[in-house]
Amino acid sequence: MFAELIEAIAKILFIFGVNMGFFAPILGWVERKQSAVMQDRIGANRADILGFTLIGLLHPLTDTIKILTKEDFIPAGANKLFHTLAPFISLTPALITFAVIPFGGQYEIFGHRVNLVIADLDVGILFIFAFASLATYGSVLAGWSSNNNWSFLGGLRAAAQMLSYEVAMGLSIIGIIMVYGSLKLTEIGAMQVDLFKWGIFLQPVGFILFLTCAIAENKRVPFDIPEAETEIVAGYFTEYSSMKFIMFWMAEFLEVVTISGIVTTLFLGAWHLPFVSGEKLLSLFGFAGPNLSIVLLMLTNIATFFAKVIFFIWLQMTIRWTLPRFRYDQIMKLGWKIILPLALINIFITGLVMLLK
Amino acid sequence: MSYELNYTVGSIPLDKLKPKKVRKNIELTLWERLYIPEIARGMIVTTRHFIVNMVGFIFPPEGKKRKIFTVYYPEEKLTIHVAYRGRPVLVQREDGKEKCIACGLCERICPAFAISIIGGERQRGNDMERYPVSYTLDMSRCVYCGLCEEVCPYEAIVMSNEYEGLAEYDRENMIYPKEKLLVPVAKLQKRIEYVRKIYGKSNYDLRNMI
Repeated sequence: MFAELIEAIAKILFIFGVNMGFFAPILGWVERKQSAVMQDRIGANRADILGFTLIGLLHPLTDTIKILTKEDFIPAGANKLFHTLAPFISLTPALITFAVIPFGGQYEIFGHRVNLVIADLDVGILFIFAFASLATYGSVLAGWSSNNNWSFLGGLRAAAQMLSYEVAMGLSIIGIIMVYGSLKLTEIGAMQVDLFKWGIFLQPVGFILFLTCAIAENKRVPFDIPEAETEIVAGYFTEYSSMKFIMFWMAEFLEVVTISGIVTTLFLGAWHLPFVSGEKLLSLFGFAGPNLSIVLLMLTNIATFFAKVIFFIWLQMTIRWTLPRFRYDQIMKLGWKIILPLALINIFITGLVMLLK
Repeated sequence: MSYELNYTVGSIPLDKLKPKKVRKNIELTLWERLYIPEIARGMIVTTRHFIVNMVGFIFPPEGKKRKIFTVYYPEEKLTIHVAYRGRPVLVQREDGKEKCIACGLCERICPAFAISIIGGERQRGNDMERYPVSYTLDMSRCVYCGLCEEVCPYEAIVMSNEYEGLAEYDRENMIYPKEKLLVPVAKLQKRIEYVRKIYGKSNYDLRNMI
């Protein structure tokens, strides 16, 4: 009982630390620096401590200090309660959804069973979808409660876009659920031991559809009409400043991480290394004794999982800095007329293949 | 009518250059309408830039600090070409007096009315010469057009290559008196020669005029 409590707390602290302490600040730096290098620029590198700039890594720190000392402004005529509530509604789902993503499998260490997931729910994917949908309320509330035309337009666009893509995203994932026959993310992850059983080989169309929908759901370029800087200032968070402003950004970055986690778990073999099975690794680590070798295997798998996550973060960042923004009607057309039918066809073909096999 | 061209573009002879195809038909092909391959193509372009620039950071090309052309301004500075128009300055003769004869042409041509001159006379050897008793240049109005330099018959005002330290918190400080404008002629020789070339002043016999 006591050991389980410690295990749970350790896992929560680990995921929380990785997300809030590593990914959230680093992604801001990555976005600046990667976009700069891709566009033949240098990027932010001026913040320094005693002359050491650390290639701009101190900028998240200085940004934090700046943001914390800014005035928290609420515009006249805004609904104070909802205006304050909105960033929290945006941030919470982004933090919570990582709870059901397994990041390393199950192990027996010193006679204690360790399952590397915070909450091993039977309906893991449904949980993610349920909470990801809640994030819509954050954007809509922020847009509506700011008492600003731009914010209001952004909120309207966010509502329309996110509701549309929610449907397509739900359907795009059905194929993978049919193939693996489970909603439990740990089981789906455990089934992808062999390289050719990875979701990306079994469901290539589903992979592309899900990634597209997930980026649209996250409101990043090319689907960033809710915040479209060139059209409506900053969209639904135009009227936000100080910590609340940064909470929207943190939510966006954490959603990038979460999407990468989900895609890794569902389509890219979760924590499994390609071509190298767990037994082979275990025999490789045999020099460390029975228990420590399992610990080493666990660490390898965790590292593999996060390497895949980082790869997908890189992919999303590249997409974000490569593609131009879709127009509103193009987004709606893509969502309803292309992705939704494709997802349905994908489900149909998956069912047919499974039936004939 | 046809005529022969036999120059080269870069190192490629002209007859070997392929003409660029212009797509008249802007309808998307099926391959392009699939969108995914085109996204991949775009991402390959950006990723290539990323990789090339990263390699350029780690292994900079010969004689340069990095592959990217950005200049870290306060630490690194561009070399200013002689054609650059910095703040206008009055040319100071070797004997420490100003070359200007207060003819007022620059005052007249200045599109921003930045120059105001009060002329006077003084002894020089056995002769009298005109000189500006006060020559005021309002740097808050100056547009750096270089017309004063072009119109000056005595090469007494030229554009220098100074572009720093011109911003002020107080407008009073931006009104430059004569003392602040004078720069020894030795420092401005390059620009004076350049001005002679571009404005066709090289046929003036200037040494006799002064």
